Amino acid sequence: MNCKFGECVGERLSGYIDGELTQQERQFVEVRCQSCVECRDTLNELRALRQKIGKAKLSDVGEDVWRETMDDTAVNATRGLGWMFLIGGVLLAIGFALFQFITGEHSLSIIEVFVVGGVYGGLLLLFISVLRQRLIERKTDKYKDVEI
Amino acid sequence: MKTTDMRNELAQFGRGAHALATQILGNPADAADAVQDAMTTVLGAPKSYDSNRGPLKPWFLRLVRNRCIDLLRRRRPQDDKVEELLDIAPGPEQLAEQADRDKQLKAALASLKNDYRQIIVLRDYMDMSYAQIADVMDIPQGTVMSRLHRARIALAKAYGKDHEL
Repeated sequence: MNCKFGECVGERLSGYIDGELTQQERQFVEVRCQSCVECRDTLNELRALRQKIGKAKLSDVGEDVWRETMDDTAVNATRGLGWMFLIGGVLLAIGFALFQFITGEHSLSIIEVFVVGGVYGGLLLLFISVLRQRLIERKTDKYKDVEI
Repeated sequence: MKTTDMRNELAQFGRGAHALATQILGNPADAADAVQDAMTTVLGAPKSYDSNRGPLKPWFLRLVRNRCIDLLRRRRPQDDKVEELLDIAPGPEQLAEQADRDKQLKAALASLKNDYRQIIVLRDYMDMSYAQIADVMDIPQGTVMSRLHRARIALAKAYGKDHEL
Protein backbone atom coordinates (compact mmCIF):
# COMPACT_ATOMS: atom_id res chain seq x y z
CA MET A 1 0.00 0.00 0.00
CA ASN A 2 1.31 3.45 -0.87
CA CYS A 3 -0.06 6.84 0.23
CA LYS A 4 1.22 10.31 1.04
CA PHE A 5 1.48 11.61 4.63
CA GLY A 6 -0.70 8.79 5.90
CA GLU A 7 -3.69 9.86 3.83
CA CYS A 8 -5.25 6.41 3.89
CA VAL A 9 -5.62 6.66 7.69
CA GLY A 10 -6.05 10.45 7.72
CA GLU A 11 -6.94 12.36 10.88
CA ARG A 12 -7.26 9.14 12.84
CA LEU A 13 -3.45 9.11 13.02
CA SER A 14 -3.62 12.17 15.25
CA GLY A 15 -6.51 10.70 17.23
CA TYR A 16 -4.41 7.56 17.73
CA ILE A 17 -1.41 9.53 19.02
CA ASP A 18 -3.63 11.45 21.44
CA GLY A 19 -5.55 8.40 22.69
CA GLU A 20 -8.86 9.87 21.50
CA LEU A 21 -10.06 6.92 19.35
CA THR A 22 -12.45 4.10 20.08
CA GLN A 23 -11.01 0.60 20.32
CA GLN A 24 -12.29 -0.21 16.82
CA GLU A 25 -10.66 2.89 15.35
CA ARG A 26 -7.40 2.12 17.13
CA GLN A 27 -7.35 -1.36 15.64
CA PHE A 28 -8.01 0.10 12.18
CA VAL A 29 -4.99 2.42 12.52
CA GLU A 30 -2.76 -0.37 13.81
CA VAL A 31 -3.69 -2.73 10.95
CA ARG A 32 -3.12 0.01 8.34
CA CYS A 33 0.21 1.01 9.86
CA GLN A 34 1.39 -2.59 9.61
CA SER A 35 0.77 -2.69 5.86
CA CYS A 36 1.41 0.95 4.84
CA VAL A 37 4.97 2.22 5.24
CA GLU A 38 3.94 5.84 4.61
CA CYS A 39 1.31 5.70 7.35
CA ARG A 40 3.80 4.20 9.79
CA ASP A 41 6.43 6.81 8.95
CA THR A 42 3.92 9.63 9.28
CA LEU A 43 2.75 8.27 12.63
CA ASN A 44 6.33 8.19 13.94
CA GLU A 45 7.02 11.63 12.49
CA LEU A 46 3.97 13.19 14.13
CA ARG A 47 4.75 11.49 17.44
CA ALA A 48 8.30 12.87 17.41
CA LEU A 49 7.04 16.34 16.57
CA ARG A 50 4.46 16.21 19.36
CA GLN A 51 7.21 15.38 21.85
CA LYS A 52 9.37 18.22 20.58
CA ILE A 53 6.55 20.72 20.94
CA GLY A 54 5.83 19.41 24.45
CA LYS A 55 9.44 20.01 25.48
CA ALA A 56 9.87 23.33 23.65
CA LYS A 57 10.00 26.60 25.55
CA LEU A 58 7.19 28.53 23.91
CA SER A 59 6.93 31.06 26.73
CA ASP A 60 9.62 32.63 28.90
CA VAL A 61 7.20 33.89 31.53
CA GLY A 62 7.16 31.49 34.47
CA GLU A 63 4.78 30.84 37.35
CA ASP A 64 6.56 33.23 39.74
CA VAL A 65 6.21 36.13 37.34
CA TRP A 66 2.48 35.55 37.04
CA ARG A 67 2.17 35.45 40.84
CA GLU A 68 3.94 38.82 41.05
CA THR A 69 1.72 40.16 38.28
CA MET A 70 -1.36 39.17 40.22
CA ASP A 71 0.09 40.84 43.33
CA ASP A 72 0.47 44.01 41.29
CA THR A 73 -3.14 43.61 40.30
CA ALA A 74 -4.03 43.59 44.00
CA VAL A 75 -2.00 46.78 44.49
CA ASN A 76 -3.89 48.43 41.63
CA ALA A 77 -7.19 47.36 43.16
CA THR A 78 -6.14 48.90 46.51
CA ARG A 79 -5.24 52.10 44.69
CA GLY A 80 -8.66 52.10 43.04
CA LEU A 81 -10.29 51.77 46.44
CA GLY A 82 -8.12 54.63 47.71
CA TRP A 83 -9.33 56.87 44.88
CA MET A 84 -12.91 55.82 45.50
CA PHE A 85 -12.73 56.69 49.20
CA LEU A 86 -10.97 59.95 48.46
CA ILE A 87 -13.43 61.08 45.80
CA GLY A 88 -16.38 59.91 47.91
CA GLY A 89 -14.97 61.70 50.96
CA VAL A 90 -14.35 64.92 49.05
CA LEU A 91 -17.85 64.88 47.57
CA LEU A 92 -19.39 64.26 50.98
CA ALA A 93 -17.29 67.02 52.53
CA ILE A 94 -18.27 69.47 49.80
CA GLY A 95 -21.92 68.50 50.15
CA PHE A 96 -21.76 68.81 53.91
CA ALA A 97 -19.97 72.15 53.75
CA LEU A 98 -22.59 73.43 51.33
CA PHE A 99 -25.32 72.24 53.63
CA GLN A 100 -23.63 73.96 56.59
CA PHE A 101 -23.20 77.09 54.57
CA ILE A 102 -26.84 77.18 53.49
CA THR A 103 -28.27 76.40 56.92
CA GLY A 104 -25.76 78.57 58.74
CA GLU A 105 -24.58 75.87 61.19
CA HIS A 106 -20.83 75.80 61.79
CA SER A 107 -20.29 73.54 64.82
CA LEU A 108 -18.06 70.47 64.35
CA SER A 109 -19.73 67.08 64.73
CA ILE A 110 -18.46 63.46 64.76
CA ILE A 111 -19.54 63.01 61.12
CA GLU A 112 -17.36 65.91 60.05
CA VAL A 113 -14.43 64.39 61.84
CA PHE A 114 -14.99 61.09 59.99
CA VAL A 115 -15.40 62.79 56.64
CA VAL A 116 -12.25 64.88 57.03
CA GLY A 117 -10.44 61.83 58.39
CA GLY A 118 -11.57 59.83 55.33
CA VAL A 119 -10.23 62.47 52.95
CA TYR A 120 -6.85 62.68 54.64
CA GLY A 121 -6.72 58.90 55.05
CA GLY A 122 -7.40 58.42 51.33
CA LEU A 123 -4.71 60.97 50.47
CA LEU A 124 -2.26 59.19 52.72
CA LEU A 125 -3.06 55.78 51.12
CA LEU A 126 -2.54 57.23 47.66
CA PHE A 127 0.69 58.91 48.68
CA ILE A 128 2.09 55.67 50.14
CA SER A 129 1.03 53.69 47.05
CA VAL A 130 2.58 56.16 44.58
CA LEU A 131 5.72 56.49 46.70
CA ARG A 132 6.16 52.70 46.81
CA GLN A 133 5.74 52.45 43.04
CA ARG A 134 8.25 55.23 42.44
CA LEU A 135 10.79 53.58 44.74
CA ILE A 136 10.40 50.23 42.95
CA GLU A 137 10.80 51.93 39.55
CA ARG A 138 13.85 53.81 40.75
CA LYS A 139 15.50 50.57 41.81
CA THR A 140 14.63 48.54 38.71
CA ASP A 141 14.62 51.12 35.89
CA LYS A 142 17.58 50.17 33.67
CA TYR A 143 17.32 53.42 31.72
CA LYS A 144 17.59 55.73 34.76
CA ASP A 145 21.12 56.85 33.81
CA VAL A 146 20.23 57.58 30.21
CA GLU A 147 20.30 61.29 29.46
CA ILE A 148 17.83 62.60 26.94
CA MET B 1 -13.63 28.31 44.61
CA LYS B 2 -11.47 30.31 47.04
CA THR B 3 -9.61 33.31 45.62
CA THR B 4 -6.26 31.97 46.85
CA ASP B 5 -6.85 28.63 45.10
CA MET B 6 -7.85 30.52 41.98
CA ARG B 7 -4.68 32.63 42.10
CA ASN B 8 -2.54 29.51 42.45
CA GLU B 9 -4.23 27.82 39.51
CA LEU B 10 -4.02 30.94 37.35
CA ALA B 11 -0.29 31.24 38.09
CA GLN B 12 0.15 27.63 36.96
CA PHE B 13 -1.76 28.24 33.71
CA GLY B 14 0.13 31.48 33.07
CA ARG B 15 2.93 30.00 30.98
CA GLY B 16 0.57 28.01 28.74
CA ALA B 17 -1.82 30.95 28.41
CA HIS B 18 1.08 33.18 27.44
CA ALA B 19 2.27 30.66 24.83
CA LEU B 20 -1.25 30.55 23.37
CA ALA B 21 -1.61 34.34 23.35
CA THR B 22 1.82 34.71 21.73
CA GLN B 23 0.74 32.40 18.92
CA ILE B 24 -2.42 34.43 18.39
CA LEU B 25 -0.95 37.93 18.67
CA GLY B 26 2.48 37.24 17.24
CA ASN B 27 4.44 39.02 19.96
CA PRO B 28 5.18 38.11 23.59
CA ALA B 29 4.72 41.61 25.06
CA ASP B 30 1.16 42.03 23.77
CA ALA B 31 0.50 38.43 24.82
CA ALA B 32 1.61 39.16 28.40
CA ASP B 33 -0.73 42.17 28.50
CA ALA B 34 -3.63 40.04 27.27
CA VAL B 35 -3.01 37.34 29.89
CA GLN B 36 -2.65 39.95 32.63
CA ASP B 37 -5.92 41.57 31.54
CA ALA B 38 -7.66 38.21 31.68
CA MET B 39 -6.24 37.53 35.16
CA THR B 40 -7.39 40.95 36.36
CA THR B 41 -10.87 40.27 34.98
CA VAL B 42 -11.08 36.89 36.71
CA LEU B 43 -9.73 38.10 40.04
CA GLY B 44 -11.94 41.20 39.88
CA ALA B 45 -15.05 39.03 39.58
CA PRO B 46 -14.15 35.53 40.83
CA LYS B 47 -17.82 34.56 41.04
CA SER B 48 -18.12 34.83 37.25
CA TYR B 49 -16.48 31.39 37.16
CA ASP B 50 -18.91 28.58 37.91
CA SER B 51 -17.02 25.41 38.85
CA ASN B 52 -20.12 23.32 38.07
CA ARG B 53 -19.70 24.14 34.39
CA GLY B 54 -16.21 22.61 34.15
CA PRO B 55 -12.58 23.14 35.16
CA LEU B 56 -11.00 26.58 35.41
CA LYS B 57 -8.27 25.97 32.82
CA PRO B 58 -10.36 25.83 29.60
CA TRP B 59 -12.62 28.60 30.88
CA PHE B 60 -9.66 30.87 31.58
CA LEU B 61 -7.96 30.03 28.27
CA ARG B 62 -11.15 30.84 26.42
CA LEU B 63 -11.15 34.24 28.16
CA VAL B 64 -7.52 34.81 27.15
CA ARG B 65 -8.26 33.77 23.56
CA ASN B 66 -11.27 36.10 23.34
CA ARG B 67 -9.18 38.93 24.76
CA CYS B 68 -6.50 38.28 22.11
CA ILE B 69 -9.09 38.25 19.33
CA ASP B 70 -10.46 41.58 20.59
CA LEU B 71 -6.94 43.03 20.51
CA LEU B 72 -6.39 41.71 16.98
CA ARG B 73 -9.62 43.29 15.79
CA ARG B 74 -8.67 46.59 17.34
CA ARG B 75 -5.20 46.39 15.84
CA ARG B 76 -6.52 45.76 12.32
CA PRO B 77 -10.10 45.80 11.15
CA GLN B 78 -9.48 43.40 8.24
CA ASP B 79 -8.88 39.95 9.76
CA ASP B 80 -7.41 38.46 6.58
CA LYS B 81 -4.63 41.03 6.58
CA VAL B 82 -3.89 40.25 10.21
CA GLU B 83 -3.33 36.63 9.25
CA GLU B 84 -0.86 37.69 6.58
CA LEU B 85 1.05 39.84 9.02
CA LEU B 86 1.24 37.23 11.72
CA ASP B 87 2.11 34.35 9.49
CA ILE B 88 5.43 35.77 8.37
CA ALA B 89 8.09 33.13 9.08
CA PRO B 90 11.84 33.63 8.96
CA GLY B 91 13.44 32.89 5.60
CA PRO B 92 15.72 29.93 4.87
CA GLU B 93 18.90 31.95 5.53
CA GLN B 94 17.64 33.11 8.91
CA LEU B 95 16.64 29.56 9.80
CA ALA B 96 20.10 28.26 8.95
CA GLU B 97 21.66 30.84 11.28
CA GLN B 98 19.54 29.74 14.22
CA ALA B 99 21.42 27.08 16.13
CA ASP B 100 18.75 26.51 18.74
CA ARG B 101 16.24 23.80 17.87
CA ASP B 102 13.48 25.56 19.80
CA LYS B 103 13.88 28.61 17.66
CA GLN B 104 13.60 26.53 14.50
CA LEU B 105 10.54 24.79 15.83
CA LYS B 106 9.04 28.18 16.71
CA ALA B 107 9.82 29.39 13.21
CA ALA B 108 8.07 26.39 11.68
CA LEU B 109 5.13 27.02 14.00
CA ALA B 110 5.08 30.68 13.01
CA SER B 111 4.69 29.71 9.35
CA LEU B 112 1.34 28.04 10.07
CA LYS B 113 -2.13 29.57 10.03
CA ASN B 114 -3.22 31.21 13.28
CA ASP B 115 -5.82 28.51 14.04
CA TYR B 116 -3.26 25.77 13.46
CA ARG B 117 -0.78 27.39 15.82
CA GLN B 118 -3.42 27.67 18.53
CA ILE B 119 -4.60 24.08 18.29
CA ILE B 120 -1.04 22.72 18.36
CA VAL B 121 -0.19 24.74 21.47
CA LEU B 122 -3.40 23.66 23.22
CA ARG B 123 -2.86 19.96 22.51
CA ASP B 124 0.87 19.36 22.22
CA TYR B 125 2.19 22.06 24.57
CA MET B 126 -0.62 22.22 27.13
CA ASP B 127 -1.81 18.62 26.80
CA MET B 128 -5.51 19.46 26.75
CA SER B 129 -8.18 16.95 25.77
CA TYR B 130 -10.16 17.32 22.53
CA ALA B 131 -13.26 18.24 24.54
CA GLN B 132 -11.39 21.03 26.34
CA ILE B 133 -9.86 22.30 23.08
CA ALA B 134 -13.35 22.43 21.53
CA ASP B 135 -14.47 24.49 24.50
CA VAL B 136 -11.55 26.93 24.32
CA MET B 137 -11.68 27.39 20.55
CA ASP B 138 -15.47 27.37 20.39
CA ILE B 139 -15.61 24.69 17.70
CA PRO B 140 -17.46 21.35 17.59
CA GLN B 141 -15.57 18.49 19.23
CA GLY B 142 -15.63 16.56 15.95
CA THR B 143 -13.69 19.34 14.23
CA VAL B 144 -10.80 19.22 16.69
CA MET B 145 -9.24 15.99 15.40
CA SER B 146 -9.34 16.96 11.72
CA ARG B 147 -8.03 20.49 12.32
CA LEU B 148 -5.31 19.24 14.63
CA HIS B 149 -4.24 16.64 12.09
CA ARG B 150 -4.05 19.20 9.28
CA ALA B 151 -2.06 21.48 11.59
CA ARG B 152 0.39 18.70 12.49
CA ILE B 153 0.90 17.71 8.86
CA ALA B 154 1.54 21.37 7.98
CA LEU B 155 4.00 21.67 10.87
CA ALA B 156 5.75 18.44 9.90
CA LYS B 157 6.16 19.75 6.36
CA ALA B 158 7.42 23.16 7.54
CA TYR B 159 9.82 21.69 10.10
CA GLY B 160 10.77 18.65 8.03
CA LYS B 161 12.18 20.79 5.22
CA ASP B 162 15.36 21.26 7.24
CA HIS B 163 15.27 18.42 9.75
CA GLU B 164 15.21 14.69 10.06
CA LEU B 165 12.52 13.97 12.65
